[in-house]
Amino acid sequence: MKAIWALAAKDLRLLLRDRADLFWILGFPIVMALFFGSISGGGGPRAALPIAVVDQDASPMTQSIVDRLRSSEGLKVREAPLDSARNLVRRGDLVAYVLFPAGTGASFGFGGDSTQSVEIGVDPRRSAEREYLRGFVTAALFQSIQGSFGASGGGRDQVRASLDQLRENPDIAPEARERQGTMLRALESFMVALDSTRTDTATGGTDGEAAGPNIRVVEVTEDDSGPRSAYEVTFPSSIAWALIGVCMSFAVSLVQERMTGTFLRLRLAPIGRATILAGKGLACALAAAVAVTIVLCLGVFVFGVRISNPPLLAAAIGASAFCFTGVMMVVSVLGKTPPSVAGAGWGIMLLLSMTGGGMIPLVAMPAWMQAVSNYSLVRHAIVAVEGAVWRGFGWGEALPPLGILIGAGILGMAVGSRLLRTDRA
Amino acid sequence: MSLLRVRDLRKTFGDRVAVDGVSFQVARGESFGLLGPNGAGKTTTIGMIVGALRPDAGTVTVDGEDDPTRPSLRLRIGVAPQALALYQDLTAEENLAFFGSLYGLSGATLQERVRWALAFAGLEERRRDLARTFSGGMQRRLNLVCGLLHDPPLILLDEPTVGVDPQSRNAIFESIEALKRDGRTIVYTTHYMEEAERLCDRVAIMDHGRILALDTVAGLVRDHGGKPRVVIEFPERPATLAKAGGTWEDGQWRVETDRPEEVLLQAVNAGQPLRHVAIDRANLEAVFLHLTGRSLRD
Ligand SMILES: Nc1ncnc2c1ncn2[C@@H]1O[C@H](COP(=O)(O)OP(=O)(O)OP(=O)(O)O)[C@@H](O)[C@H]1O
Ligand SMILES: [Mg+2]
Repeated sequence: MKAIWALAAKDLRLLLRDRADLFWILGFPIVMALFFGSISGGGGPRAALPIAVVDQDASPMTQSIVDRLRSSEGLKVREAPLDSARNLVRRGDLVAYVLFPAGTGASFGFGGDSTQSVEIGVDPRRSAEREYLRGFVTAALFQSIQGSFGASGGGRDQVRASLDQLRENPDIAPEARERQGTMLRALESFMVALDSTRTDTATGGTDGEAAGPNIRVVEVTEDDSGPRSAYEVTFPSSIAWALIGVCMSFAVSLVQERMTGTFLRLRLAPIGRATILAGKGLACALAAAVAVTIVLCLGVFVFGVRISNPPLLAAAIGASAFCFTGVMMVVSVLGKTPPSVAGAGWGIMLLLSMTGGGMIPLVAMPAWMQAVSNYSLVRHAIVAVEGAVWRGFGWGEALPPLGILIGAGILGMAVGSRLLRTDRA
Repeated sequence: MSLLRVRDLRKTFGDRVAVDGVSFQVARGESFGLLGPNGAGKTTTIGMIVGALRPDAGTVTVDGEDDPTRPSLRLRIGVAPQALALYQDLTAEENLAFFGSLYGLSGATLQERVRWALAFAGLEERRRDLARTFSGGMQRRLNLVCGLLHDPPLILLDEPTVGVDPQSRNAIFESIEALKRDGRTIVYTTHYMEEAERLCDRVAIMDHGRILALDTVAGLVRDHGGKPRVVIEFPERPATLAKAGGTWEDGQWRVETDRPEEVLLQAVNAGQPLRHVAIDRANLEAVFLHLTGRSLRD
């Protein structure tokens, strides 16, 4: 155990003396956090947004809205109960959910409850997608109302029936009869007009949003407030860079040792191969944890990032550090010289980061890349840290990313230490 | 009883035979030299002795135990690898303290050993400097003491003076002689025959992975070095020596003989002034030349 500490302390001391390594571990992630934090909000070409619809009304009207949402190419729709839809959004698996509360369909009729509103719950990270999504839902609502009140729908009959009823009902005061009659007639002519201007806008634009039915957009986080600033999003993302920097620095140091002969001395010392690897791993994990902590501290103390669940954050940092230590061990055996390891390593790391949301926000990715991102350890590290920072994860929700990180870490260490030749050639 | 016993070691890399059946024993307190040109298989032999390389065949026994990878045995072996094995971004002191701690040293003992090592290597004044700022000779000296912190009874030094200026070389050499005086058992590889002659009680001459001869320096010279050679230069070739044997080259008379004094006497009696007189005693260089037909530095 003493030897493990000695090995780790040596590596950490060497790391502190390497300015280039320090830059990749600390400087670069911070630069990325600040850069993306300051420019965030930009859009880009989009893939179909994964959303859930929660149809608590289950009326023909809401059913037709859901069908329209389903048929639009810009969305990937699934139905889910409210609880699970909220969780999926909070976990980052979906961009948003659209809730049609009971009574929504009726509220589009006459004398309906106008305070009843469609709720869109969005992932605050996808704020860029919010208006885009609102546009889709608005368009679907309009088209459904139109379909219902148009020539083919039952709406006009309903209006006519209402007018007849109005005329024949003796209990209605003359002023009220006059007022409602005017309104219904106006409505009737409006529907005729609608019919004639009917166009196919099924794939939606964002027009007409201002005149839309009551749509309420809420952000889905524990306290429903979401990240206060873009920095709450970009600082957790930039930990990916810190992890990658540490991982690469140690992978390269391991080959460097093998090349320069210091590794030979380690092997000739009266310590086992497990001890040598444990020392390297401990140093790597400590450096990763410290680097991530420093990056997040800067976020907390200078850029106002809030941490909602400190113990979970500690677990997320620990699991991420552990995971990337395993990745480091695998990367370190990808080549025989520092340049070949660095080359292969950075390739893999950039891929992990790119697909994991370290570079391009997940929402801006093409669909295939979003699918790939589930395999990116960077994504799980970011989700775990975000869960503790502002997504308001409980332990149950944090378990899958934490589990994946730890599992991958164990796998990486097993594979890496098997391939790393510490025994006699 | 021998501290180190090597029996029929063999090692190939691909189809290149690096070590081809090497056997020898080194007694406790003895200094043993492996002398051979580049590629002779010295480093490979050392690698197998210390357990860094797995022999294809043969055995290594140290202190009666035959698995040099066992930690208990590693504590008794000290190595100075041929390739510098130092952390360039650690100071001399930090390098030493780190390697010492791998051998279980700590606290005051470690500090004391580090101080000893710095003094031994003559690096006290530079102890706080990074290894990368050291000259080649200083790095060699540090490389040497990094393997000695745990005070091992068996020390293997793989060309510890290679690429070092004469002054540094002498400093390193005196350190090693001090180790020898302290009773350490030393295995020393080199391709400098003067070093082997000066330090080693016995020397194995290696070439192409084999030991060609193994004996004390005197024994090797006696058996393989040929006779001493007398070289005398006269202004003119004396007639009295016409039938005396030897060869004539550039006005020099060269005679190989077991009795150089008699040859000198003949020369003096030739009645001519002697311009140049030399008796070349055979050395390891001559031994190597005799055994392989090549010079050591080829
Ligand atoms: N790891 C290796 N892979 C392939 N060949 C090797 C390896 N190590 C040594 N050899 C070969 O084995 C032979 C012996 O090499 P070795 O290093 O033991 O020689 P040496 O006597 O130490 O030479 P030098 O005086 O140059 O250090 C050489 O032909 C060398 O090319
Ligand atoms: Mg060698």
